Amino acid sequence: MTIVIFGGAGDLAHRKLLPALYNLNLDGLLPPRVAIVGVGRKPTTDDQYRAFAKDGIEKFSRRPIDVHAWETFAAALFFGAADIDSPEGLAPLGARLDIIEHERGLNGDRIYYLAIPPTLFQPTVKQLARSRFVPASDGKTARVIVEKPIGRDLASARAINDAIADVFEERQIYRIDHYLGKETVQNILVMRFANSIFEPLFNQKYVDHVQITVAEEEGVGTRAGYYEQAGALRDMMQNHILQLLAMVAMEPPHSLDPDVIRDERLEVLRSLRHLEGEDVDANVVRGQYAGGFIAGKPVPGYRNEKNVKSASRTETYVALRVSIDNWRWAGVPFFLRTGKRLPKRASEISVHLKDVPPILFNADPSARLDPSILSIRIQPDEGFSLGINSKVPGPHVQVFPVKMDFHYGSTFGGTSPEAYERLLLDVIAGDATLFMRRDAVEAAWQWVMPILDRWEQRGDHGLSSYPAGEWGPADGEQLIQTTGRRWLAP
Amino acid sequence: MAGAVADRVWRDSAPDAIEHDLAVLWRELGQGEIKIARAVMSNLIVVRAPAKDRRALTDIVSGLPLEQVTARHPSRTIVLEHCHRNTSDQPFAAGVGIVTYGPPAARYGVEQIVVRSVCPEAPLLSMLRRLVRGDVPTSVWWTEDLSDGAPFDPLLTVGRQLVYDSQQWKDVRRGLSAILPLVDNHRIDLADLNWRRLAPLRRALLHARGPLKGDGWRNVTIEISHAPGQAAIAALLGGWLRSERPPDAPIVAVEPRVAERDALIAVTVADMAAILTARGAEVSMPSEPPLVVAAPRESHAEAIAAEMRSLSPDATLLAALRALRS
Repeated sequence: MTIVIFGGAGDLAHRKLLPALYNLNLDGLLPPRVAIVGVGRKPTTDDQYRAFAKDGIEKFSRRPIDVHAWETFAAALFFGAADIDSPEGLAPLGARLDIIEHERGLNGDRIYYLAIPPTLFQPTVKQLARSRFVPASDGKTARVIVEKPIGRDLASARAINDAIADVFEERQIYRIDHYLGKETVQNILVMRFANSIFEPLFNQKYVDHVQITVAEEEGVGTRAGYYEQAGALRDMMQNHILQLLAMVAMEPPHSLDPDVIRDERLEVLRSLRHLEGEDVDANVVRGQYAGGFIAGKPVPGYRNEKNVKSASRTETYVALRVSIDNWRWAGVPFFLRTGKRLPKRASEISVHLKDVPPILFNADPSARLDPSILSIRIQPDEGFSLGINSKVPGPHVQVFPVKMDFHYGSTFGGTSPEAYERLLLDVIAGDATLFMRRDAVEAAWQWVMPILDRWEQRGDHGLSSYPAGEWGPADGEQLIQTTGRRWLAP
Repeated sequence: MAGAVADRVWRDSAPDAIEHDLAVLWRELGQGEIKIARAVMSNLIVVRAPAKDRRALTDIVSGLPLEQVTARHPSRTIVLEHCHRNTSDQPFAAGVGIVTYGPPAARYGVEQIVVRSVCPEAPLLSMLRRLVRGDVPTSVWWTEDLSDGAPFDPLLTVGRQLVYDSQQWKDVRRGLSAILPLVDNHRIDLADLNWRRLAPLRRALLHARGPLKGDGWRNVTIEISHAPGQAAIAALLGGWLRSERPPDAPIVAVEPRVAERDALIAVTVADMAAILTARGAEVSMPSEPPLVVAAPRESHAEAIAAEMRSLSPDATLLAALRALRS
């Protein structure tokens, strides 16, 4: 197996991909015969590339460098230069790959990882076809991994998908949403469908509402060029959060077959009630962070960040009230929010069960009982907990909410594999369960487009400001408070 | 639930590495043979004023019965030593630890975070928001004398309950001026440990003379005296008596004279006399045997833990404080 990383000298490879491959190697999970070839424009020697990889692993790997493991890993690392813009730009790379594969006794099975800007997806894929990097039917495997963002709207997503589909069959395409590779996200399926206690409760009869929060402490940082064109809705909501929503709300699949699971996730996306026109105004809040404090330190407002326009309308926060129009979830609101410069980094799903009738312990309106909440903590404090009311020991009937808490760190010890480890391993194994199929990507865009269109119509109107370090703008609080509920801070 | 401390682990940290460092400690503990459950029923922010003799971060917790409190009510404890200053090069220092309790078969661990801050309120709020868990109630335990300064706004923003002890007040008037503005703040419940001490006397008086709105309290003169240092509990008693009696009832007189025997406070209601001691309340009435209500035997830590378990506002305390405001 040869893993060819386009953008091999880039930030994603440095911080995520090479450390992930190293950790797979450390666990003996890479194929016995493997080559990892970084591809970039700038000529780089193999030794220089190995030094680049070692630096990334030292800085970002979840486990430190093991001398012996590093030596075997480094021996499988190579670099090949390529110029995508030139018609014959991949020819030298093709020759290089053939030599590496011959020398290492590899069979020519390849994975092409497009860790490159989306504008380069189409030319790169075309070049792969033109240079005959994708075998037609000679028994060799070729797979392509595509990083988000897949488009910036439905039309561009379709264009990218069409271009890739011209070269690869859908079964060969692995669209990464790294959220799906997180242990806790995978555990959603296990929790729901491997325990008889939860699944009977997951419906409109018992669930009052569901919240999904993906909060980032960081600002736009060095990604302003990309983020100015994207914003929170495209960057987080259209992909990660809708995928989380699909995992929580999907029907039980009849098997663990990748397409069966992906069909069920797609059904959720197709059941989302479309928001258009004034419905968008009533159910979607967008905001942009102003100056404030994060972890005690002053931080600038979005419009004062480097490479951000002084009158930028890009939203750094978005909150939505969403309905799923199917039998299971009819009438259950889903509140979704994400934002930058929120008080802490945390991704969490909370399922709020309905209140008990106000007859016994909560008969007095001033003595409301806390609702039972199932919280699924995706990061950083991985685990889940169930809040239930319990009697405080003593002669009086006093009720206090207690937690049944599962905490990965204290239960299993050690560190969980990074999402990219799991996802790369799945591509090597040919398991597409945790990857997005074309129809799901386009269904998500289809749902998001009317919101983007409405914002375009309204311009600045409806874009609220919030101080960095707050949980978003006041409108975001009102979105949920007007329904008699409140956001659960992670 | 009050297990003995089994172990403590600790590491110095940095403000932006607190969660990471706690995760590291949990992973280290998780690799041991004894499995440890993380226990967290509340956030407990413990506020201490800066002191010159506390140099190390670990000194900030010295003298506080923190482990006894969290053994009874396991909480993510955030011990905060805060100094308000408009500028500072080093606004925060932090350390994290885990205290484990109980026998090997039922061992649980509680997180402890110690933060020393020198900054204005806005950065402090951003720090506290980062540290409290949103899925459990947050209690603020003000360990200092409130007559020296009111609780700062960030605590009232993140907290659901303010636990304090008015017995510490050197100046009752100033202590009340710190607390009274919070009486109508519906976001935060007040829990005064001194009010808890007063409970046996309140019960005894009601038992002896009936509800405050009843005839037994109409047209009677009430006098309260208290031992030195017990002015706050006497004021609370006065506020409580005023709160429900008819508006035209004679004013309750509170005298700072030494009460009888070992009494903390003494009260006379017409021909009835009552005292509150550390052991409980005793009411004497002519031609009747004394009426005695024992005080619960509880430590400081038990009292705090008990208050933290109460999530409903104490309407009677609020009414008593409102009466003191008027």
